[in-house]
Amino acid sequence: MSVTPEELMALADGELSGEEAARVEAAIAADPVLARRLEAERGLRAALRARLDPVAQEPVPLALTDLIARAAAADAGQGMTDKVAPAPAPAPAPSPAEVVDLAAARTRRKEAEKARDRAARRPNVPIFADRRMAFAIAASLVLGLMLGSQLHRQGPVTQTRAGLAASGSLARTLDRQLASAGDVDGLRMLASFRRQGGDYCRVFAGTATSGIACRRDGTWLLERTMAGGGGPSSDYRQAGSVQGDMLTAAQDMMRGDPLDAAQERAAIEKGWR
Amino acid sequence: MRTHDFCDQLTALLPRLRRFARGLTQNAADADDLCQSTVERALVARGQWQEGTRLDAWVYRIMRNQWIDETRSRSRRARTFVHEDEGMNVGIAGDRDAENRVELGNVDRALARLPADQREAVVLVLVEGFAYKEAAEIIGIPQGTLTSRLGRGREALLKELGETA
Repeated sequence: MSVTPEELMALADGELSGEEAARVEAAIAADPVLARRLEAERGLRAALRARLDPVAQEPVPLALTDLIARAAAADAGQGMTDKVAPAPAPAPAPSPAEVVDLAAARTRRKEAEKARDRAARRPNVPIFADRRMAFAIAASLVLGLMLGSQLHRQGPVTQTRAGLAASGSLARTLDRQLASAGDVDGLRMLASFRRQGGDYCRVFAGTATSGIACRRDGTWLLERTMAGGGGPSSDYRQAGSVQGDMLTAAQDMMRGDPLDAAQERAAIEKGWR
Repeated sequence: MRTHDFCDQLTALLPRLRRFARGLTQNAADADDLCQSTVERALVARGQWQEGTRLDAWVYRIMRNQWIDETRSRSRRARTFVHEDEGMNVGIAGDRDAENRVELGNVDRALARLPADQREAVVLVLVEGFAYKEAAEIIGIPQGTLTSRLGRGREALLKELGETA
């Protein structure tokens, strides 16, 4: 009884039905050459798994879980805005189901934070993260100069004694745009939070520039800036890692949890004071 | 569709997605980038996922397509801008990295030498554990094409790894 290489492969891959499998197994039992071949097939599978399975055991990077948790939170917020008049009308109390959504999103973020704390105790991980941030901060010194020229036409950045401050369209967007609004004229709000000391900060991603702006004495000071990160045309490698770096930096600055949609709306109404 | 069901399921898939990304790219940094862009794409397109179908196969397809796009644009860039130092050694970046790395295990080296279409077939079936039919759907090819790529990929790996496999 002959067995084709395809049949042997299908047996090794669990693709044969009971009857076919029994026939092929019987043929293999009677033929040492086929038996060795099957063993080699199974050995190959084991070797590949031994190489790649450890990747699935590694802690998942915070940037990934955060990305998903933020989308879940944004959708929960969107659910609310769909039902009520758009801001700045006062938001009514959310229904119980929506509260659950937000709480679940927060739980996920907490879990992400715990995972990050665990990762922080591992020697390799934080060094890598810090080094990326160090590059980002060094780059922001250069970018501080570039920003002015890049965005000069709309005048969204001005130099003040306290540092670079948002003005014009960027300041208006920081003032008013909800994170759940997504991309509006090439600018997205990724998250809002309060930092140590209580100032409000917002993480934004634009086609040309992304960064973190914090509210101080009625202006948005740019604490961090990086080129790119927001636009759909951004470089494949860049967009994700810029946002990841920004969110990592935000996490280090953050006091408590990021604002949920209702808290964000309240802060907008109070002018971020 | 309840969004946070989708998000929960996507989060639960992340370890497997990272493994698949590494299998495809053969490089930890590329794999991280690929995961990030895949998750972003999946979140943007989440309205298109049909409830009741397998989310894993849907996201794997996104990842696979993102990687194909990326390798194509890299080889296009490589053809257009050949750096002097690279001389004639221009292929897709993944292969080049693999050649240059000194401490590369046998399995990595063997996988890196496979043509990309055979590698993805091998990884989907042998590592990710998809049935032939599912793997063929993820790649978007007939099942017969999948099994022939799988057969050739396997043959090459067994030859390369010999008794050590």
